[in-house]
Amino acid sequence: MRRKPADVVRQLVALSRRSTLAIFRQPALVGPSLIFPLFFAALGSSSFSRAISLPGFPKVDSYLQFTLAGTVTQGVLFGSVTGAAALATDIQDGFFDRLLAAPTSRTSILFGRLAGSSLFGGMQALIFLLALLPFGVTVQAGLLGYVSIVVAGFVTAFAVGALMSVVALKTGSAEAVQGTFPVLFILLFLSSAFFPRETMSGAYRRIADFNPISYMVEGQRSLSIDGVSLIAMTQTLVIPVGIAVLTTMLALRQLSVRLAAR
Amino acid sequence: MSTSRSVGILATRSIRNIRRLPSAFFPALAMPIFNMVVFAGTFFAVTKIPGFPTDRSINWYMPLGIMMGSAFAGVGLGFTAIRDIETGFYDRLRMTPTSRLSLVLGPLTGTLVRVVMMTTIVIVIGIALGARFTGGVLGILCLYAAALGLSTIGAGWGLGLAFIFKDMRGAAIMQLSIFLVMFLSSAQVPLNVMDGWLHTVARINPATNILRLARVGLVNESNADHLSFNAVWGGIVAIVVMGGLSLGFALRQLRKLSN
Repeated sequence: MRRKPADVVRQLVALSRRSTLAIFRQPALVGPSLIFPLFFAALGSSSFSRAISLPGFPKVDSYLQFTLAGTVTQGVLFGSVTGAAALATDIQDGFFDRLLAAPTSRTSILFGRLAGSSLFGGMQALIFLLALLPFGVTVQAGLLGYVSIVVAGFVTAFAVGALMSVVALKTGSAEAVQGTFPVLFILLFLSSAFFPRETMSGAYRRIADFNPISYMVEGQRSLSIDGVSLIAMTQTLVIPVGIAVLTTMLALRQLSVRLAAR
Repeated sequence: MSTSRSVGILATRSIRNIRRLPSAFFPALAMPIFNMVVFAGTFFAVTKIPGFPTDRSINWYMPLGIMMGSAFAGVGLGFTAIRDIETGFYDRLRMTPTSRLSLVLGPLTGTLVRVVMMTTIVIVIGIALGARFTGGVLGILCLYAAALGLSTIGAGWGLGLAFIFKDMRGAAIMQLSIFLVMFLSSAQVPLNVMDGWLHTVARINPATNILRLARVGLVNESNADHLSFNAVWGGIVAIVVMGGLSLGFALRQLRKLSN
């Protein structure tokens, strides 16, 4: 059945609105992904305040300034699982099947679900930037830097949400989606989110060198510490977009597989 | 039935669950290994900070991984108690001629066996990754003592909360409280390296003393904490006092549950 583009957009907006409201109606679900990154930032500012003078660290006034990008990325990664978990819940409780029975665009079911967590990702980035501002943590790139980091938060949440949606569509289990959470945690820690790659050694350094999260974080960090540059903007925005394209393709493929199996 | 026999039976049941429910045991084993590996790798350079007590990051973070694993193994007993309460198994236990003390000590014994297994495996992996016990056998014994002590404290706390809440609401408080106590200590860096508010909090946090006990056999031989009585007694006092309080809390809440 061919659907008019206007109908598809209307369905997408309706489903996006539903997923966004669902996130904000469950503070217990989103609270930890706002509180824990700020807690770790506060912890790190006391624990590693003397580490910033070590060789390999960029010139920063405080560890908090250094870890701003890591805090934003950490929060966004953790928060982005909620959208995919909600998609799995829709499959579990039969709402997904009811949507399929209705004349609804198939892709809007997926993108509608991801819209909520993506908006939340952008909002998280903004909250972290504003929360650390009173502690002297600024973005040297100015307004362009702030906007870029918020947009990066939005796109990263979408990219990770799409990746997690593959698990949701494959298993139809919210528990399985939540079970992949430690993988994100490992990827984050095996990157330069909390310490520079220059201070690492051996296998850890090699993994961090290959980990795309390292380059995303370093782009945001450069905007925060050094100011605007083409490399920093590319790392901040192009890498998440590239990952989003790849993970969206995977999610759409898994959606087709699920629909074909019905 | 005597208390010791009941303790033995309940401990055996807890240990058998490792084979019957490996999905519950392996995450508890994976977490300390994961913590050790990622912390030692990410914060590799932290040992270069002047005054840091060891020149191997794995020596500092292996005890942290084990302590986190032990604390969560302890509160995990609270999760098991909640499941037993919800399924009605606890009511059946309370109807048997079993002493209330054995309902706490039995599962606790099983948990301590699990903690010994977990600690041994993490130490073996840690040594394979470069950890070195500068304090020899005594240092290893201190690490085991700290692990067993912390899991006892966690178990008492977890059981007490399980008997109060009787459902999974208690689980979130168990995890969050242990998480905060562990991280608001010298978990990441020693007291002499940290600054600001965390130094004030960590100095009065009993977990700092227990971590100090765990690390006495892993710091450099030139460090003042190396196998020193000063570094050991605070941890032992913390374990005895906090362990006594938490087990007392668990027994008190169990009696209230029975009434």
